[in-house]
Amino acid sequence: MDKQKWESRLIDYIDGKATEEERAAIEQELLRNEGVRTRYNQLTELLEVIKKTKVSEPSISLKVNFEKALQEELATQTKPTKTIRFSPMLYRVAAGFVLLMAGLAIGYKINQSKIESDKLVQLQKEVEENRRMMLAMMDNQLSASQRMVGVSVAYEMERPDDEIVSVLVKTLNEDVNTNVRLAALDALGRFSSDNQIRNELINSLKTQKDPVVQIALIQLLVEMKEKSILIQLEKFTRDTGILKAVKDEAHAGILKLS
Amino acid sequence: MPKPAKSIDLMSDEQLMETVKNGNLQQASILFERFHKRIFNFLVHMTGNREAAEDLTQNVFLRMLRYRQSYNPEMKFQSWIYQMARNAFADHYQKQKQLKPANMEVEKLNDSLPDLAEALEQEETEKRLIRALAKLPDDYRELLVLTRFQHLKYEEVAGFLNMTVANVKVKVHRAISQLRENYFELENA
Repeated sequence: MDKQKWESRLIDYIDGKATEEERAAIEQELLRNEGVRTRYNQLTELLEVIKKTKVSEPSISLKVNFEKALQEELATQTKPTKTIRFSPMLYRVAAGFVLLMAGLAIGYKINQSKIESDKLVQLQKEVEENRRMMLAMMDNQLSASQRMVGVSVAYEMERPDDEIVSVLVKTLNEDVNTNVRLAALDALGRFSSDNQIRNELINSLKTQKDPVVQIALIQLLVEMKEKSILIQLEKFTRDTGILKAVKDEAHAGILKLS
Repeated sequence: MPKPAKSIDLMSDEQLMETVKNGNLQQASILFERFHKRIFNFLVHMTGNREAAEDLTQNVFLRMLRYRQSYNPEMKFQSWIYQMARNAFADHYQKQKQLKPANMEVEKLNDSLPDLAEALEQEETEKRLIRALAKLPDDYRELLVLTRFQHLKYEEVAGFLNMTVANVKVKVHRAISQLRENYFELENA
């Protein structure tokens, strides 16, 4: 039998894929043929080394660069595609909001004319229930996707109230999931003309530890021409514990704002 | 209260990629988390160069975003992403060939290996294994990396390499045989 065929039979034997009959034949050959025995020992050793090969860990910059590229790709998308349209849950919540806003307007008219005031009370109750539902989703610590849906609904709002802003800021600063933080940043970024929100974004830059969010925050604040962050950007460039990608973004920000 | 949406963790790779294709780009992060180490390790073994492998892995996931519309949901996502990794490696290989004569490529690959081995804190046997692997022809190395290092089934590999399962098995066995010779030659070198 040729050498290659023997090797193939031995590999199947080591892999446990040989039939019983084949195993017996190989074991007999191993006893009487030194050449086959040597090849068997070498193959066993080699396959064991392969099995024990360590998994290499890529550097953190791979993830940071991917998240950055993803944000750039997201920025090129038109706004409507930011909505999670496929999600039935979001459909329901978003549709609920639209319905309730319309309901409020209707309710207002009803109130004005002092007709069917009980319907207005009902509608207001439903608005509050839906609002609570959205806040509960944003606070669902067990599911990042639910928090993402909650934040996405907030993104679609004309102007969130103080409680919603406060939850969005908390999400931006404390959520364990980078994508949820970025979605909260997107939502807050829509209302950056509001002084309170602007200040929250500036403060977040000082405490933010997630490099991907740091980069996105710098880009947003630079776009807003917020010169008060120059000191913070300078700090980033000197901080040895900061990722290079963040430092580069800080450098670019300083150049644009100066 | 409406029923909660299907948990992202339970979504298959194909379902996630379909949502990415439909415009929900954020889900690409989950696919990145699931696959980036596998693709990186595949490319580390193919190039023998950690830095190049990282650049190529980055390139693969950028292609995933840019060419998301070309994804066919009937195709396994794993096959699609490995196919892109193979293409990225082939492009890299072509560029290297243009920069240096063909016979220099193997030398370059071998030269980079001690650094790679050191960076990975590999034991002597693992260093020798990587050197032996680098001496294999590309198609043998690829088949071995996919089946023995990445633990893909012969059926899966046959699917995206457009080969029969029997052919994959024959070639993998030949590759192991050649690797054995390389590996023990280096022991005596």
